[in-house]
Amino acid sequence: MDLRSLMRRRVLLSMLALHLGTVTGVAAQRTAPPAVRYDQHVPAGGQLPPAGTLRNPFKDSKRAADEGGKLFSAFNCDGCHAGGAVGAVGPSLADGRWRYGGSDGEIYHSIFYGRPRGMPAWGGTLPADAIWRLVSYLKSIEPSRDTAATTRW
Amino acid sequence: MIAGHIVSALAVVLALGPLAPLAQAQANASPGGGASPAPEEDGQWIMPGKDYASTRFSGLSQISPRNASRLRPVWSFSTGVLGGHEGQPLVVDKTMYVVTPYPNVVYAFDLTKEGYPLRWKYRPNVSAAAIGISCCDVVNRGAFYADGKIIYNLLDGHTVALDAATGKELWKTRIADVNAGETTPMAPLVVKDRVIVGTSGGEYGVRGWVKGLDLNTGKLVWTGYSIGPDDEVLAKPGTFKPFYQRGSQLARDSWPKDGWKNGGAPVWGWLSYDAELDLIYYGTGNPAPWNSEQRPGDNRWATSVMARSPSDGSLRWAYQFTPADNWDFDSSQEMILAELTVDGRRRKTLVHFDKNGFVYTMDRATGELLRAEPYVPVNWAKRVDLKTGRPQVDSSKMTGASRGTVEDICPTLEGGKNQQPAAFSPLTRLFYVPTNNMCMDYTASNVAHIKGAPYIGASVPYKAGAGGHLGAFMAFDPVQGRKIWEIKEPYPVWGGALATAGGMAFYGTLDGWFKAVDARTGTVLYKFKVGSGVVGNPISYRGPDGQQYIAVYAGFGGDWLLLSGDVRSDDPTDVRPPASFMPDIARHTSQGGIVWIFGL
Repeated sequence: MDLRSLMRRRVLLSMLALHLGTVTGVAAQRTAPPAVRYDQHVPAGGQLPPAGTLRNPFKDSKRAADEGGKLFSAFNCDGCHAGGAVGAVGPSLADGRWRYGGSDGEIYHSIFYGRPRGMPAWGGTLPADAIWRLVSYLKSIEPSRDTAATTRW
Repeated sequence: MIAGHIVSALAVVLALGPLAPLAQAQANASPGGGASPAPEEDGQWIMPGKDYASTRFSGLSQISPRNASRLRPVWSFSTGVLGGHEGQPLVVDKTMYVVTPYPNVVYAFDLTKEGYPLRWKYRPNVSAAAIGISCCDVVNRGAFYADGKIIYNLLDGHTVALDAATGKELWKTRIADVNAGETTPMAPLVVKDRVIVGTSGGEYGVRGWVKGLDLNTGKLVWTGYSIGPDDEVLAKPGTFKPFYQRGSQLARDSWPKDGWKNGGAPVWGWLSYDAELDLIYYGTGNPAPWNSEQRPGDNRWATSVMARSPSDGSLRWAYQFTPADNWDFDSSQEMILAELTVDGRRRKTLVHFDKNGFVYTMDRATGELLRAEPYVPVNWAKRVDLKTGRPQVDSSKMTGASRGTVEDICPTLEGGKNQQPAAFSPLTRLFYVPTNNMCMDYTASNVAHIKGAPYIGASVPYKAGAGGHLGAFMAFDPVQGRKIWEIKEPYPVWGGALATAGGMAFYGTLDGWFKAVDARTGTVLYKFKVGSGVVGNPISYRGPDGQQYIAVYAGFGGDWLLLSGDVRSDDPTDVRPPASFMPDIARHTSQGGIVWIFGL
């Protein structure tokens, strides 16, 4: 099943609802986002470099998060990060901890550009709306509270 | 099935007659059954499986059941690398060679000097992208020594040849494309002037292959795909004669149109070679995706053994263990070449303990199936029909997106056995087999192929098999289908086996024990906690001082790193709950690569 037939078969309705058209025909929506500033980076001289701000248009939308959960499966994110994003080949995205930053804009960057240890760059394939819905889904996951101390033997 | 040591020891004595003095037996022994080049025991370990027959049998006999309790660690070395340390060291000419998981550092230790200082160290520049494209931890299964060269694969799709004396890079060839889901953790096999390598990627929609490179230049000579049209599978009319099929395009027409183009069948396991027949043997992995309903047909030659000519790659025969695989039953496990007596006839056999839970004994010249017996509890098939070569599948255990969750399939997709290689002792004529004991619930779903992303289509939780233990180390007779003894282990036994002429077997456990066992009785004579779980394969060699040594890697990982991510400690941004079926493994081990050497 290729990408287009998948869209037809599995996520056609939700995709239409997302105004995505075909995955390959939305160049405008694939315009690169501005650079974002990472909270974990140390500013030399105490001076923060200039950077843009990315705002999630679906912030706090439960519906967008639900749709993002479907995309998480439809685009095989769960193939690496596991169902529920609890981690497998790729790291857990459900523990409330973020290797490359956990703000909405930082997560958007991770998905759009990928990350060097094998996280694919989806910005050439997925439109902005879909990436934001994935961000909304990941941010909606409630991390379990007691991961720091392991005593459950 | 015999579990008790006393009972099983008795059974062995009855089966073998009085125990012959080992030295005498050793003189008569011919590892690999005599048909393969098994040079006189020279005290070295120059290729992954010890010899071309992949016996993992050392002719050294100093360490024996009489003195094994006096074993002790004599040396250890941190590799500085945390990934799962599958594979094994090599020992060639008083030097030990160690390949680490990603980033695939090679250490060459001088065994003639106190503390075994380095002769050299090689640090390749390996693409980090390969980390995320490797299904099952960033393992490497080892190097091969030939013609003064150390030859091995980098995870990111390169084969390199190093000068064994200096570590100088002699050639480096790109063999695989990480962007297409291909990675290369397997160990090469060198036959004459050919270096045979294969690709992983059964979970990323690759089209599996082996390639033959020129030993001196690294240049690509041939590519033989596992699946697809005859001319690309190198199935030539007149020379390709599978035992159970007739006709052409067997590896194309057993797929839906174009399904083979992303159909998996990777080559990530071990290779063997028979010099007399001039054939290499290896197993292919699962067809992709895991949802079988997207690829109706038998999907040849996924989940198969293939026999090829090493010089030009031409396919001579192939046999499919699990047609139309519904369970991710890769057949990448080693092919052990042994001479065994079947139905009163001495046969040149190939013995293969498949993921699917059956051990297959085949005629390695023709591909005829002689025996197929379960070696762990199996319920997806009732038996294998020796006339047709096909398993009699229990339809209630068939999976697919339309079937919802299919419960309690045994074994799991981790297999009765997986990458952990078995050993064969020509003295006891038994196979020493590290095994898993688990069952699974399989929920398949439709999945799209997206280049560079995983291509799986199933969710498959595990549970303990009968008895509650997750693994066992056993001595097995594949012709009789008989377990001689077993040592139950709380966790999957993911490290390989070693058998020796001293009448010993060795293995390591996932919770970090290295164990020395009486090969006849299964009695554990010595064990030592090696600092991290063992997923590597012990070897034996004669040191420059004339003494026998055993070497093994510690270094938890492989599939279990993904499934029990709570063993990790190196990444504060990746914290995972324990695996439901193995909730306490992190109580006993964490990651960390260490080379251990034991001696008397």
